[in-house]
Amino acid sequence: MAENKTVLVVDDESYIRRVLELKLKNKGYHVLSATNGEEGLALIEEQHPEVVITDIMMPKMDGKTLCEKTNGLKQDRPFLTIVVTARINPDEGLWIKQLQDTQLMEKPFSPTKIVEAIERYLGTKK
Amino acid sequence: MKIKTFSAGFLVFLLVGHAIFMQVLIRQEQNASRNEIYNKGNHVVSLIALHTVGDFEGERRDFFIKTLTEFAFSQKLAYCFVNDKNGKPIVTLTFGPESAQIPDRIQTSSLAFTGLGNPLLNVGSPEYGMHEFSKPIYEDGKLAGVVRIGFKPPAISIISMERISLIGMLSFFIMAAMIFVYFGFVKAFKPIEVFMGKIINNKSFRMAGAPSFSKGLGITPVMRAFKRSIVELRDRIDEVEARNKELAAKNGVLRFEKNQVVHILNSVNFGMVITDIQDNVVFINSYILRLLNKQQEDVIDSPLEKVFNNKEITSFISRQQGVKKLRANSHLEVTFPELAPNETYRVSGSYLLDDNKALIGKLVMFENTTKEKEAANTTLEYTAHLSHELMTPLTTIKSYSEMLMDGEISDSETQKEFYNTINSETSRLSALIKDLLNLSKIEMGSLVLNQGRVKSDGLFEDCITSVEGAARKKNISILRDVPDNFPTFIGDKDLLKGALINILGNAVKYTPVNGKIQFSLSEETNMVVFDVRDTGYGMTEEELSRIFEKFYRSDNPQIVEQQGTGLGLAIASQIVGLHGGEIKVESQIGKGSHFSIKIPKKENYLGRE
Repeated sequence: MAENKTVLVVDDESYIRRVLELKLKNKGYHVLSATNGEEGLALIEEQHPEVVITDIMMPKMDGKTLCEKTNGLKQDRPFLTIVVTARINPDEGLWIKQLQDTQLMEKPFSPTKIVEAIERYLGTKK
Repeated sequence: MKIKTFSAGFLVFLLVGHAIFMQVLIRQEQNASRNEIYNKGNHVVSLIALHTVGDFEGERRDFFIKTLTEFAFSQKLAYCFVNDKNGKPIVTLTFGPESAQIPDRIQTSSLAFTGLGNPLLNVGSPEYGMHEFSKPIYEDGKLAGVVRIGFKPPAISIISMERISLIGMLSFFIMAAMIFVYFGFVKAFKPIEVFMGKIINNKSFRMAGAPSFSKGLGITPVMRAFKRSIVELRDRIDEVEARNKELAAKNGVLRFEKNQVVHILNSVNFGMVITDIQDNVVFINSYILRLLNKQQEDVIDSPLEKVFNNKEITSFISRQQGVKKLRANSHLEVTFPELAPNETYRVSGSYLLDDNKALIGKLVMFENTTKEKEAANTTLEYTAHLSHELMTPLTTIKSYSEMLMDGEISDSETQKEFYNTINSETSRLSALIKDLLNLSKIEMGSLVLNQGRVKSDGLFEDCITSVEGAARKKNISILRDVPDNFPTFIGDKDLLKGALINILGNAVKYTPVNGKIQFSLSEETNMVVFDVRDTGYGMTEEELSRIFEKFYRSDNPQIVEQQGTGLGLAIASQIVGLHGGEIKVESQIGKGSHFSIKIPKKENYLGRE
């Protein structure tokens, strides 16, 4: 099921990229990684990943900007975006609800939960 | 003068005038009737005298007498005598009741009369007379006889209808004029009467013998009272003037106090506008005038909506009108993009009530909340950052341990890597928490410097020792530059060591392999100076300006690679600051950075060593 599906991990923390890469590769996904929003945006436009997992606080381009910039692309080619954030108040994630196919995952997250969310999305799509 | 006397005199004058007027009327009437009789008499006697004596005799006599009788009746003829030339009566006619009274003398005496004449013959009372007209009768140029006729003068009647109506009319006009004049006088004197009555009947002006104006109108008492009142009035004016002076002094004090209040309101650091009930501006302080870039005279008495030209404010203020009780916490956030860009103002309104709790206007306050908002935003940003920094190592620890527990990592090398990562992230987390605690202690002012005599040589070597290992790994050489005599100074050795190690550690972190670091110690006037120069990546201007901010991390990928809490320099600068010292940084991209830390010596400090 996960064959030929590409997941892009956008995070400036190498440890987090590392663990997600491992987890997703174990599940059979093709994994791309980027250290900030700018790199992430370039990879989304080039590689058309089915899923994007992104942090919010990153140098150069933050996760919020990345989500807003890529939301338009989803009309032609929908894909899932999982935003991981250390949310401090419930209102903070409201902007995520305005975006298409975008979910919130609170830090500290479980890699298993992320995979479940991806499978749920790809499963309903099929 | 009393009105009664005046009226009586006027009445007497009127009666006398009337009597004279009547006499004139009677005289005129007598003349008129006499003229009428003369004309008539002459005419009639001439007509009769045209006849011949023979006409009065024989067969024509009856016709003549009949005609004469008819004529005499209509013309009120008293008598008619015709005599021949010898005086022998030919016709003797008398008419009316007076005929019997005609004395014989008249019937005979005038026989010899030959010309025109009008002797007045008195019959009875002297007023009663008759007018006789005579004319000779000629036949063939010779006197043949004489005609005499008598008229009784008509009774002079002054009480004719015309006269009565004329007199009536005159009397009416006179009466009307009198009434008019009377009321005119009354009316003209009324204000004076009322005025004087007021003054004289006024308690403070009442004097013995002051006339009461209810008795009637009179100029003299009015004038007398007026005179007396003027004296009183003058006294009163003096009194009022004295009181006015006192009031003016009080007014001066009040004006001074008002000016003081206005001055205070103009110097406060918030905007204040006071309106009347119609929302027109009655007071505006300098703060708002400066903000609006307007002059006071341009806005006073103008409607609020015209002054601010901001619908939000106007509707907010008018909405306040609908609410009976002021909601203290109701306010509005506004901006004036053209006048004060990037500034936010909080507008609040309250009612102004008088002593009877009646609404007399509104007070509108403008408070610049830009800094407040900025501070709130900074706090929010800081909290988000803090949460991110704490949650990131936690996420690593959680996810790595989950992977290990789930048996997803079978390769033993990777397992080792994962355990190491969990370990280092735990250290990172604890270092971060330690930094945060220190920082919060410093910020809250609860960090007490444990001050003592610090020997700079010991401190210098301790710093180098703690970074040597890391430097060796990257083959970075640390050059020492020290004076012959190491200075001693007063400070908290442990905290200063932490700050210096942080800066020195950064130099190691951000200098590529095989680089050089120079660590110098020197003295300036009353200062101990530590200099850290590296051959690292260097920093941009923007980075330089932000490196002491909490959680600031450069975007530079070589720097992003390095671990750090993002709090190190913030804490270091706070510690140096607590010692009364300063940190200066110079940097060039690609060449390296230079941190200079100056700590005051405070040599005369007599604390512990």
